[in-house]
Amino acid sequence: MSDPVDPDSSASPEASGSPEASANHEIETPESSDFVAVAATTFTTVFLAELGDKTQLAALLLSAESGRPGVVFAGAALALICSSLAGVLLGRWLAAVLPAQRLERISGVLMVSLGLWLGGQATFGLLQPVLDLSTP
Amino acid sequence: MQLPLLASTFLTVFVAELGDKTQLTIVTISGTSNNTLAVFLGSAGALVLASLLGALAGGSLSTVIPADALQLAASLGFLVIGLRLILRSGTDAP
Repeated sequence: MSDPVDPDSSASPEASGSPEASANHEIETPESSDFVAVAATTFTTVFLAELGDKTQLAALLLSAESGRPGVVFAGAALALICSSLAGVLLGRWLAAVLPAQRLERISGVLMVSLGLWLGGQATFGLLQPVLDLSTP
Repeated sequence: MQLPLLASTFLTVFVAELGDKTQLTIVTISGTSNNTLAVFLGSAGALVLASLLGALAGGSLSTVIPADALQLAASLGFLVIGLRLILRSGTDAP
């Protein structure tokens, strides 16, 4: 009559049943802030890096300004979306092939190297007028 | 008439972007994050907006915003993300 419910047996099907399903359900709660954070971080980094590097693309768009800038922009935007898709897929493939810890280390070293290189170039560019003035 | 221009722009920009530091960044963030869709939406949105700004401002964008200052800000972002990844890979180790 009063069968005591075994907490373990009742809990285990729920717990081990579907970790993927529970992860999918959480899209609205903690995962959504993670989603926004990841998207915002990616957006800011790529946007800043790309905006400073827009000289070639601006020149390309300017060169086609006599013709049809709308078509040129559409082509450029499509290409950028495809290249970022290729980058994302390559990243997923690397994550599947390499152990996470090693990929994190390689990525970290790559990012720091890129940061130092970019920062060095930018600092040099900013200091260029000052250097020119100091050497008569 | 418009298709050749569209195709040539697409190919030019696509080839120019392959292996670019921007794409390396995307590969890095995507490989070390579980949120593939968020990375894709963030990077594609940033690239399209940046190229739209470039198209609207034409060649004068670099005179309005100093490119070197933007690059310096971006390099700081790279350093922060890179150092965080290195630290994380260190704490993951058994």
